[in-house]
Amino acid sequence: MSSSLLEKETLSVVAPTCLVVDDSRVVRKVARRILEAHGYQVVEAENGLDALNHCRRELPRCVLLDWNMPVMNGLTFLKALRAEYGPTGPTVVFCTTENEIAQMAEAIECGAQEYIMKPFDEAILTGKFAQIGLL
Amino acid sequence: MDELLIDFLTETAESLAALDDALLQLERVPDDPEMLAVVFRMVHTIKGTCGFLSLPRLERVAHVAEDLLGDVRDGKLPANAALITVVLGALDRIKLIVSGIVATGLEPDGDDTDLLAELRDMRTRGPAPEPEPAITLDFDTLEMLPPGTIESLAAQIAEAVPMAEATPEAAHGQPAQTIRLDVNVLENLMILVSELVLTRNQLMQIARTETDSRFTAPLQRLSHLTSDLQEGVVKTRMSPILGAWNKLPRIVRDLASELGKQIDLVMLGKETELDRQVLELIRDPLIHMVRNSADHGLESPAVRLASGKPAHGTITLSSFHEGGQIVIEVADDGAGLSTERIRARALAQGLASSAELATMTERQVQRFIFAPGFSTASAVTSVSGRGVGMDVVKTNIERLGGTVDLRSVAGRGTTFTVKIPLTLAIISALIVEAGGQRFALPQICVAELVRAEGSGSLEEGALVVERVDGTPVLRLRDQLLPLVNLRDLLQMDAQAAMNSADPTALTVVVATLGGTTLGLVVDQVFDTEEIVVKPVSPMLRHIKVFSGNTILGDGAVIMILDPNGLSRAVGHAGLTATVKDRPVDTQAAATERTGDRSAMLLVRLAPDASPVAMPLGLVARIESIAREDIEFTSDQPVTQYRGQLMPLMALDSSLAMADHVPVLVFADRGRSVGLMVEEIVDVVEDQLFIELVSSRPGLLGTAVIAGRVTEIIDAGHWLKQGWEDWFSDNPGPRNAKQLHLLVVEDSAFFRQLLIPTLSAAGYHVTAVDSAMKALALRDAAVPAEFDAIISDVEMPGMDGLQFARLLKEGGPWMDIPLIALSGRFNPIDIRRGGAAGFCEYLGKFDREALLAALRRHLDQHERQAA
Repeated sequence: MSSSLLEKETLSVVAPTCLVVDDSRVVRKVARRILEAHGYQVVEAENGLDALNHCRRELPRCVLLDWNMPVMNGLTFLKALRAEYGPTGPTVVFCTTENEIAQMAEAIECGAQEYIMKPFDEAILTGKFAQIGLL
Repeated sequence: MDELLIDFLTETAESLAALDDALLQLERVPDDPEMLAVVFRMVHTIKGTCGFLSLPRLERVAHVAEDLLGDVRDGKLPANAALITVVLGALDRIKLIVSGIVATGLEPDGDDTDLLAELRDMRTRGPAPEPEPAITLDFDTLEMLPPGTIESLAAQIAEAVPMAEATPEAAHGQPAQTIRLDVNVLENLMILVSELVLTRNQLMQIARTETDSRFTAPLQRLSHLTSDLQEGVVKTRMSPILGAWNKLPRIVRDLASELGKQIDLVMLGKETELDRQVLELIRDPLIHMVRNSADHGLESPAVRLASGKPAHGTITLSSFHEGGQIVIEVADDGAGLSTERIRARALAQGLASSAELATMTERQVQRFIFAPGFSTASAVTSVSGRGVGMDVVKTNIERLGGTVDLRSVAGRGTTFTVKIPLTLAIISALIVEAGGQRFALPQICVAELVRAEGSGSLEEGALVVERVDGTPVLRLRDQLLPLVNLRDLLQMDAQAAMNSADPTALTVVVATLGGTTLGLVVDQVFDTEEIVVKPVSPMLRHIKVFSGNTILGDGAVIMILDPNGLSRAVGHAGLTATVKDRPVDTQAAATERTGDRSAMLLVRLAPDASPVAMPLGLVARIESIAREDIEFTSDQPVTQYRGQLMPLMALDSSLAMADHVPVLVFADRGRSVGLMVEEIVDVVEDQLFIELVSSRPGLLGTAVIAGRVTEIIDAGHWLKQGWEDWFSDNPGPRNAKQLHLLVVEDSAFFRQLLIPTLSAAGYHVTAVDSAMKALALRDAAVPAEFDAIISDVEMPGMDGLQFARLLKEGGPWMDIPLIALSGRFNPIDIRRGGAAGFCEYLGKFDREALLAALRRHLDQHERQAA
């Protein structure tokens, strides 16, 4: 790991950033409200490509990732992220619905740390984040 | 509404519009995996988001639709027409629920069991297999075919096929770089730019008088920059016309299956841009026109084949810019308008006499379809032919300052052409002067400017004013142009009218007003200016000849003339009785009144008192009277007003009486009473929900006006008292017998408003709250006797129309004059009212018109009786 990445990680301890990737503005806003209330700085992206560009500018501490999005879906983004930054990159929590349970395994395989079911509320989201040491 | 919910609604509305389109594309190319993924994702997103906002009903519908689409995406089910229809049904339900949420903020109640069962059923059993597309012809049709049809059909098909291939597919263009902006931000920008344009104009005006100024060059630059900025900001308000068209493919598809027709919709010039505000307003008229073309314009496949046309009818929508306007055409390749049917219909509806019809051109006859309530559809379908349609389209387009026209060729089809200004905010206008005042005439209706000589001129080649049937006309390039003096039209002053009787040299603006061309005589013509349209204040809004006002370069505030209002005024004045376009004119009263919105005058009766309201319609004038002009005769304050002593009243004794006292003048038949108030606060125009208070005389009730609870005072009550005090004689009509009126009105508010008004005018009034109660009075052992009956039209139970019909059937009240009061004021309602037996149809709140109508009919009735 390069020293510059370390520096960034140290900084992000002070103000951890979460990248919320979802094509729905409503979902992004819900997540933003919850995470900001718990001391996160939130950046938003509306699709995988947008998210990837964000990461290339500044790597977030974690990513809350939707699955089914236009332009670039969550899986492609996740694969690209891991390919570029290796397994120690940002922690990825991906969002799914009961219809997409089959994709859970695939996501974990591709390097997601956790999954969360939509719709989520404050308790569910913070609970999940606490579980994997993000809060 | 919660911010999240608003976001959701915006987002969902966008997806839904795109979904309709995507599904229809999918139907054409059923296996397009890209389209399938798009459709699936959009439904999926709607469902996923619902959960965050707890919208269980919406979520359930979206969920089941998503399941079905998931199977299609996975190749388990084919995306054929039957399946698409079911999914479209689900989308319609989603739209319904969403519009419910938009209206109330809550999910509307409703039962989706049927729909859900249908969706699940489709999923388990799969859609019925698609029937093989085939053209079936029965022998009768074949026999009807003229010889050579088959050959020509074959040739047409050969011709059509390569063309179809050559049609460029709508490319899924890269989404342009966009940002989301609050509309209000743009609106504010527009207002600021408007102000900037005005200031620029003022500066330029000043600079024009200075010949050698060092400001000239920078001012020139400022002027150019302002123009560029204006153009740029106007552009931000522009959207592609597609926004008004995107619902049409779906509508046409539904119509085609409902009507059993085959219809192709071709859209050309989708990217043509126009002002968003105009776009919103043009959407419904366009839908109406396309429905009309599908229903009336296009023939059924069998008839089409029989006349040698392809079974598929085509509706072509096209749009382009032309001279500051956007032109939208709706063309069908149907049978064309049947002028014979239109003639017969116009005759039957009394729109024209057979003599008039005989002299009309085909085109004039065709324009009858824009007449209110006109319909030639021999069969009334659920789609159109219900007697509303093209007249509404025409009214709406004219309201935008646009025009609509049509071209029809028998056997080849009909084309409607709509022209509307690109934007409503800044227009180009010709500044003219009449009667010492300047007016702005929108450039769009100015055809040319000519100078005409009076009848005395002998000059060779000069344009001379002639007279036809007493109407001055101008012979311009072999066309007779009726002349109307703008001064007369605006009733500006008598002297001016005298001058125009024998004009010596006239400046004539050849103007196209609402479908007729005429010469508008003005005193002087100035420049053409880009003017910023400001809305007319509510107090002047009923004057239909003005569409707004503007500020000129020299700072003067002038009125903008409304071409359509002028055209109606011309019609009313009867100035061009021989030339006027009748079908246009029958609409005269159509848009005169706004309906159930009412204008309220807010006044303060005493210093520091809360404002109270009264209907503006009751107030004849508002004056400011100097304190020294107020005299006292036996404690009663009076003032000299228009050559008479007018009693003045105050409702609150603590009135401060400053140097000038605002006075509301209430007038009736030459008598006036003034109500002194502390301050005129405002005029508000709103839909009012009035809570009644009956306990306090003189108070009608309370309503929330401009955000605060306001008392509505019963001016009539107080004035009646004032009148009785002052005019000690009974202020009744001139005959000794007091006339007795029956008022049938379900709204207590209007009853309380009408009774004092009518009593103050000297009538004896009985009021009931339903038609049934009125009939009970008639059918009593000794029937009540009335001289006139005033009835509301919209009432629960028996409405005014039924009531009128019953009265006219016979019985003791059969011959009593019957006056309708209605909040709805369109030609169809008026005609219905007339047919039901009303002799007058008046808008609510129009006190003057009601009293005038009563006088007219009671006098007439009396004469007949005598």
